[in-house]
Amino acid sequence: MRRGWRLAGLGGLFLAMFVVLFLRLWFVQVAAGEEYAVRANDLTVASSPTLAPRGQIRDRDGTLLATSRFAPAVIVDRNQIPSGQEDHLKQRLSSLLGMSPLEIESAFDAPTTRVKIKEIDAETAYFVLEHQRDYPGVFIELVPIRVYPEGAVASHVIGHIGRPDQADLDERPDLDPNATIGKAGVERSYDDLLQGNPGVVAYRVNARGEILDELREIPATQGDTLWLTIDLETQQVVEQALERVISLANEEKRAADEYHNLAKRATAVVLDVDDGSVVAMASYPDFDPGEFVGGLSRSQFSALNEQAAFTNLAIQGDFPPASTFKAVTYVTAMEENLFPRDATADTPDGRVHCDGSLEFGFDDGSRQVYPDWYYPDELGWLNIHEAFEQSCNIYFYGVALRIWQDFNLSRQEDILQEWARQLGYGELLGIDLPFEHTGTVPDRELFDELAKRGVVREEGWQGGDLMNVAIGQGNVLATPLQVAASYAAIANGGTLWKPRVVQEVRDRLGQVVATNLPEAIREIDLSASTVAAFRRDLHRVTAQGTAAVAFSDFGEGWGEVGGKTGTAQNGANRDNTAWFAGVAPVSDPRYAVVVVVEEGGSGGRIAAPAGRYILQYLMGGKPTGLVAGARTD
Amino acid sequence: MATVTGVQTRVAVADRRRPGPDLFLFVAFLALSALGILMVFTASRPLLEVQGLDPTSLMQRQIVFAAVGLVGFVVASLIDYREYRPLVPFFYGASLVLLVAVFAAEPVNGARRWISLGPFQLQPAEFAKLAVILTLASVLAAVQDDEQGMPWKRLLVSLAVVAVPAALIFRQPDLGTMLVFGFLAIIMLFGAGTSLRQFAVLAGAGLVGGWTVLKMELLKSYQVERLTSFLDPTSDPLRAGYNRIQSELAIGSGQLVGKGLFQGSQTELSFVPAQPTDFIFTAVGEQLGFIGGALVLLAYAVLIWRLLRIAVNARDRLGMLIVVGVASLLAFHTFVNIGMTIGIMPVTGLPLPFMSAGGSAFITMSVALGIAHSVWLRRSPVPGRSYSG
Repeated sequence: MRRGWRLAGLGGLFLAMFVVLFLRLWFVQVAAGEEYAVRANDLTVASSPTLAPRGQIRDRDGTLLATSRFAPAVIVDRNQIPSGQEDHLKQRLSSLLGMSPLEIESAFDAPTTRVKIKEIDAETAYFVLEHQRDYPGVFIELVPIRVYPEGAVASHVIGHIGRPDQADLDERPDLDPNATIGKAGVERSYDDLLQGNPGVVAYRVNARGEILDELREIPATQGDTLWLTIDLETQQVVEQALERVISLANEEKRAADEYHNLAKRATAVVLDVDDGSVVAMASYPDFDPGEFVGGLSRSQFSALNEQAAFTNLAIQGDFPPASTFKAVTYVTAMEENLFPRDATADTPDGRVHCDGSLEFGFDDGSRQVYPDWYYPDELGWLNIHEAFEQSCNIYFYGVALRIWQDFNLSRQEDILQEWARQLGYGELLGIDLPFEHTGTVPDRELFDELAKRGVVREEGWQGGDLMNVAIGQGNVLATPLQVAASYAAIANGGTLWKPRVVQEVRDRLGQVVATNLPEAIREIDLSASTVAAFRRDLHRVTAQGTAAVAFSDFGEGWGEVGGKTGTAQNGANRDNTAWFAGVAPVSDPRYAVVVVVEEGGSGGRIAAPAGRYILQYLMGGKPTGLVAGARTD
Repeated sequence: MATVTGVQTRVAVADRRRPGPDLFLFVAFLALSALGILMVFTASRPLLEVQGLDPTSLMQRQIVFAAVGLVGFVVASLIDYREYRPLVPFFYGASLVLLVAVFAAEPVNGARRWISLGPFQLQPAEFAKLAVILTLASVLAAVQDDEQGMPWKRLLVSLAVVAVPAALIFRQPDLGTMLVFGFLAIIMLFGAGTSLRQFAVLAGAGLVGGWTVLKMELLKSYQVERLTSFLDPTSDPLRAGYNRIQSELAIGSGQLVGKGLFQGSQTELSFVPAQPTDFIFTAVGEQLGFIGGALVLLAYAVLIWRLLRIAVNARDRLGMLIVVGVASLLAFHTFVNIGMTIGIMPVTGLPLPFMSAGGSAFITMSVALGIAHSVWLRRSPVPGRSYSG
């Protein structure tokens, strides 16, 4: 009867096995079933973000400067490429999309599994859809594309878009490395408003990630619209002026075979004197922001980069302001009553003999002769107004010398620099554009610091340095925007406005969501007489001074325009940088205009005609062709 | 006593005159086969649709296999199992030849388990299981003295009978089937009267052998991985543990009453790999819930219970041992396969009897069940008394 107990034993074993299965099944399905059910559901739902179209950019009247449209693009989901076929697929995409293997590699090289490779035309899209089998893991999706209807117009204000680089990622750690962000201009400074909110589409997928149906969609919302302070027509006029002034500057150089110092870069800005809004801002050369949309090739980029086409010179150019800076010295002299010691009277009417050089003795007994490097000629005896009109260096040297002799080593020795800082030099004006430069207002402190590093002579700050500052040379550096803002501040009676290029932000439905109200950086205490004299003297420059030739055929409104020329020395073998800073109308100023032509030559000859061109338009006239003005300081 | 004897005699006479089939066994077999066909359809349909194939094609094949299996069951029931005894060496030899022939075939998924016969793939390992059961049963069937117990010589011959096909299957490689042979051998040796002392000696030898295998790295790394991954399925979720996690998730999400036929998201969305074959139970668990799963367990329990009842009533040791072999074959397959889908057994690739899609296993199991049924139909005339003592 052994069979009996042995078979009973087997029965027990088999029963135990079934009891184990039963209990485990109970646990998995009943005790923990709910938890499993939740996890199982998660597995079957996949979601993919949908890109939000970037917000629009419009000029002050609403003309569209940037918008987004939808276009098909090749998307690759690397999870869905069958193993071992990736290289083959890359080759196919390379020939289909006309991208080099390197470009394909870098497009694939992304931290996310779904990668946008390239925007394509409808024909290519249909081709891919019809040959889906040959492109496993490749999808065609409509993605928003940035469009710039006006092309390169206002490109430095608008900026451009692109992939974030390492610096961007460091700055904004939550950024998707695959995202498209603003890289320059308002595209960058208002990126968070322009971005919009990406949507999400949730799908049910099977184990191979194939989409079965759509569960829900949270649609992407377009970003907000920027309404710029830029006036498109003025902007176009300003850009024409820059193009023409470059050819004007180079005509003679080419004729003289002076190809080594051709003018290559120029910039201009038009500010609203009463609220700091930027009516126009341009740099030459410019670029078409649309070329960045599909990704700029390396060679395209470096070609443009070599010309500094991406640099917004109006806020990123550090130029010696030269004689345009005499406005600062002028205001200092008038407000502080600091007129040259050797003037005929210690009043604005006191005259100085502008005979081409200034000779004076320092405290240590040494004597020095300062030539008026541009005007060795006899100009006669000039008061401050006449000196401003003729841009007489001797007079303004005299003001610097007076400061040096009156206040040397006292607290007030940097009174000129203080006035410059009051007027916005040497600081960020805080314009709503990225990469603004501060410029430099040199003083004893800076020179002592530089002397320690061996950059300047070891004696540090000396009287001659202050004299150079007085005529905007030496180590004074300013951005064209700073010069425009300071002229606007003096002309409007003393308010230094914070410049801005965006006046308001509206949501996609047109509701205003943010307004950039005019914001005063500071109120500068200027006497009414100084303001009135400054306006008058600006007109004297264009009427009979250094810009008179350039403004001679201004036409209607001639009586209401004014400005100041400037000619900044550059290093050896480089031509001078030409400046013009103007205000109009002088009786009730509305606009401040600055034109800078790097290596353009004389301010009065080159920059003043460009300023005249712009002012003609602003005064309601029709700009006339550029003709060289007088060779002046 | 006389009346009792009279009743017993009457029953025995009736049985002997017209032996009745075991309806419980037959119904459980049919029910599992039918449910298997349905489950194969639900599990194979989505993937076939995606591939643009006839969604019922795999089910159609399974219906053919089930029909052939049913015929095999009936035919095997009708043949007297004792007729096989002289043929056993032939069966055994033939299965060895087929196992060797597998090595000439192209490998599928890195393994050589199939011999291609037109549209069908023959899996010799499945037939070898039946051949080994019959061979072991006939080796162990000889009447033995209760006092002496299992002669060592017979024990060693039995082990040799298992070792040769097991070694061939190891080369395929098919770890699951090797384990089946081990389990079969232990259970049949136990049923045949091997003493606990003998088992202890064998276990000791087995430990030394196993240690040697590990030391000499005879197992392929993926085999070791598969065996160990079930201890921690998250360790390698995309490979060895993936199937297990997916199937456990699918079954768990079925909860008490299931999601309903064709409503199982994991099944419908093809999340469980090899679902119509090795992981058919996930389709049951997800769609029919704990109630459905428990009923399937019950059906297998009924099969095992009826087989043990046949073993108790078998006419001779040969019949008893064959049925014990068939019962242990079914029990082991069921336990390992379902255990694998709910996370308590490693992933080995043993099909679920009568439910997993596939012909070789279905037909072998059906014929094995038929042979066991044949033992029932030819059971001893007096219940409780066996010829073998």
